[in-house]
Amino acid sequence: MELNGDTFTDGAISGHGGPPNTHAKWVLTQPAFDGLLACLDTDREAAGRKYVEVRSNLMRFFEWRGCAFPEDHADETINRVAKRVSEGEEIRNPAGYFLGVGRLVLLEVYKEREKQQLALSELAYTSDEHQSVDDLEPRAECLKRCLEGHTPDNRELILQYYQGEKAAKIENRRKLSARLKTPLNTLRMRALRLRERLLLCVTDCLKES
Amino acid sequence: MNEPSNEGLIVRYLLGDLSEQEQVEIEDRAFSDAPYLQDILAVEADLIDEYVRGGLYENERRLFETRFLASSKRRQKVDFARALARVAREDVATETVGRRALTVAPAKWWDSFTALLDGASPALRFSFVAASVVIVIGISLLVAQTIKLRGEITQLQAQRREQQQGQQALEQQFAAERARNQDLAARIETEQQQRENGEELIRELERRRDESQTTPSPSVLSFVLLPGVSRSSGALPKLSIPQMARLVRLQVGIEPGDEYKTFGVELRTQGGQRIWSQNSLSARSGRAGRAVILNLPARLLGAGQYELALKGFTGQGKTEDVGFYYFEVLKK
Repeated sequence: MELNGDTFTDGAISGHGGPPNTHAKWVLTQPAFDGLLACLDTDREAAGRKYVEVRSNLMRFFEWRGCAFPEDHADETINRVAKRVSEGEEIRNPAGYFLGVGRLVLLEVYKEREKQQLALSELAYTSDEHQSVDDLEPRAECLKRCLEGHTPDNRELILQYYQGEKAAKIENRRKLSARLKTPLNTLRMRALRLRERLLLCVTDCLKES
Repeated sequence: MNEPSNEGLIVRYLLGDLSEQEQVEIEDRAFSDAPYLQDILAVEADLIDEYVRGGLYENERRLFETRFLASSKRRQKVDFARALARVAREDVATETVGRRALTVAPAKWWDSFTALLDGASPALRFSFVAASVVIVIGISLLVAQTIKLRGEITQLQAQRREQQQGQQALEQQFAAERARNQDLAARIETEQQQRENGEELIRELERRRDESQTTPSPSVLSFVLLPGVSRSSGALPKLSIPQMARLVRLQVGIEPGDEYKTFGVELRTQGGQRIWSQNSLSARSGRAGRAVILNLPARLLGAGQYELALKGFTGQGKTEDVGFYYFEVLKK
């Protein structure tokens, strides 16, 4: 796993709800990145997989906490951990450690947001934007195209699993589980994986068109 | 970690409706328990679908829009959910139409109808076609009207739910107020009762004080018992105790040579029944010589003869009989 020229700098995300740029600039170097991977796993391939998992979990964490730029904050967190590793800090529980540093970054994000009163502008932004469904048509077309790339079984699963509301939805899923002879929980995970794949496919499709 | 997932809690977490501590607990578990993380993602997908289909309550929708839609990635998810809902709806419609077509195709009435038209005059054919168009338009209008009404019903139901919630909240508030009033009334009553009892007690004390002032009779009587009086002696000291007396103070005289660390006494009736005893008494010196002072309740001493045994306790833990004192009690 190579760094591919990515640069992570302390305080790089300030200005859009990120931490203030009070730290000295520190650039993630290849040796520091190698050190970070080594602390995740001795096997480089496994370390790479874990790195991707950690980053994706951090992104989820910031997303769940209502941050506008989860990806940037996740990178900032990784950057800080890499810096500490390069300074000789030993990490015994990487998942917990990353999350802990992530929480510190989150505090800074909140403080910064308060300072800039971004919460209000974000509120207006999100509400306004989601009144508009102009791109529903092309998105739905892309989704149909993406669905064609799946087997009929998977198409049926995804379309039926997410049909109905509240009680009707639950009943629908129970019936689907009985018909496919698949436990409800397995069905749920399969539907979720399919949904995530379709989301990526639709995003790519929209970029192309 | 095999604890079951609490979907309601996860929904509240995703809407930012939990305390910091609860959020931390959920995150810690999510990143150390893979199935739990998957549960959160599945609940998140369902929550987005509910939002897109207008299935969230007002407060949930508000939280969703302020917190949940903060990032562009999440907005993408919401847009995707809209597209999915639409495609799923179309799929159902297609399936229904397909199914209807399958069931309708073999029916013979359509064949009969077309056969009838084939054989009919142009005027009759035109009438049939016109009637069909009218019917189709009528059905379309009916369908549109039904959809509109359904929307209104959903809206009314949501309003009614909100009203019910408001009413429930008011009822709860009212019940809490009523309970508090009852509690206050009970406390006032208790305090009133206590005050009445206190006043009664004051009255009683005042009455007793008045009584004691009007009938001056000694409540504490003092007597001196001297050693050397035998039981058979005809001249037993007589203790005349009035009914009103409460305490009898006996000064038990001791010989100068009776040096003990402490003394103890036992009071017995003429029949030998022990009615009172006390230890750890000290001798005191007075004008009449050394004596051990006893204070005993007057009610113990009924009319009759008594024996008082005085014991001495040495420093080595030994007990010795010091003397026996006899007296007679007369009740007035």
